[in-house]
Amino acid sequence: MIRIAAVGDVHVGPDMAGMLREQLATVASRADVLLIAGDLTKAGLPEEAEVLAGELHDLGVPVIAVLGNHDHHSDREHDVARILRDAEVAILEGDHTTIETASGTVGIAGVKGFGGGFPGASGSAFGEREMKAFIEHSKERADALGDALADLDADVKVALMHYAPVRETLSGEPPEIFPFLGSYLLAEAVDRGGADIAIHGHAHRGREHGVTPGGVHVRNVAQPVIRQGYAVYEFDAARDGSGRRRVTASSSTSA
Amino acid sequence: MTEREPEQNDTYTAEHVREALARDERVNEPELDVQVVDGRVFVTGVVPTDERRSAVADVVRECCPHLEVENRTTIGRYGDNEVTERVR
Repeated sequence: MIRIAAVGDVHVGPDMAGMLREQLATVASRADVLLIAGDLTKAGLPEEAEVLAGELHDLGVPVIAVLGNHDHHSDREHDVARILRDAEVAILEGDHTTIETASGTVGIAGVKGFGGGFPGASGSAFGEREMKAFIEHSKERADALGDALADLDADVKVALMHYAPVRETLSGEPPEIFPFLGSYLLAEAVDRGGADIAIHGHAHRGREHGVTPGGVHVRNVAQPVIRQGYAVYEFDAARDGSGRRRVTASSSTSA
Repeated sequence: MTEREPEQNDTYTAEHVREALARDERVNEPELDVQVVDGRVFVTGVVPTDERRSAVADVVRECCPHLEVENRTTIGRYGDNEVTERVR
């Protein structure tokens, strides 16, 4: 079995030193890799990234992450990414990485993603330049995810993002804000790129489970949603009748 | 000058408080819910630490010194429960 741990929206600040590490204490015994689906920091400050780097140091599993909107708030996202990369946390943005496990390879393609909405209620790149910029940013990030996924050759392909690819995992959030929580373009990229699972955060009041129109499992791992230190998704080497890998999900934290 | 209905002012006040909770560096929590009812500001949602929960009340008081604060935020302590689910 290939075991993938995931959590998002940990919003680490100096007031949280030691908290996340305690929640992740068992991760090396439960999973082959830890994914973090954005909003790593409270406000995207380097000093917050330093605290997070300490929390993630020497966990015993590779740590792969994407940034979220919180990590961009102070316009220091490059410093945040550099500090975490120096701490051996892989930060993905339109690229991918592959992890070798005893049961096979896990390929992870990641982007922050962006908003824009979902079929029947989505924005168009039309009108004011600000509106065009909003939708074009969403499209660029989704295209980058699709291209990164298509480049991957792994036994299990994971699409990691912060914004949501489907409205299903937003259920519980006010529908009026769905266009700020995700975009169908991400789901289209996930389906095009042939992912086995899409993992996101951002929607604190959403729910964990969803599926893309193409049938790919979607998991919202925002910590207020999973209410755990991290969730674990296990992948059987065998594929089901549709050609997809069987996925088993469980959740765990340290006691 | 037309006098505004109190409910209309409350609607705007709630949104201004929500914006302040997102932008203020002591909190930076855009995900909190804010309602103003009968002269009281109700804030709900989850924050990670006691420090940020206290800061929520401070920010609301600074925004609305004339209103009472009902800080109903909770601390997200993610515990030791364990759930196993077979998806397919």
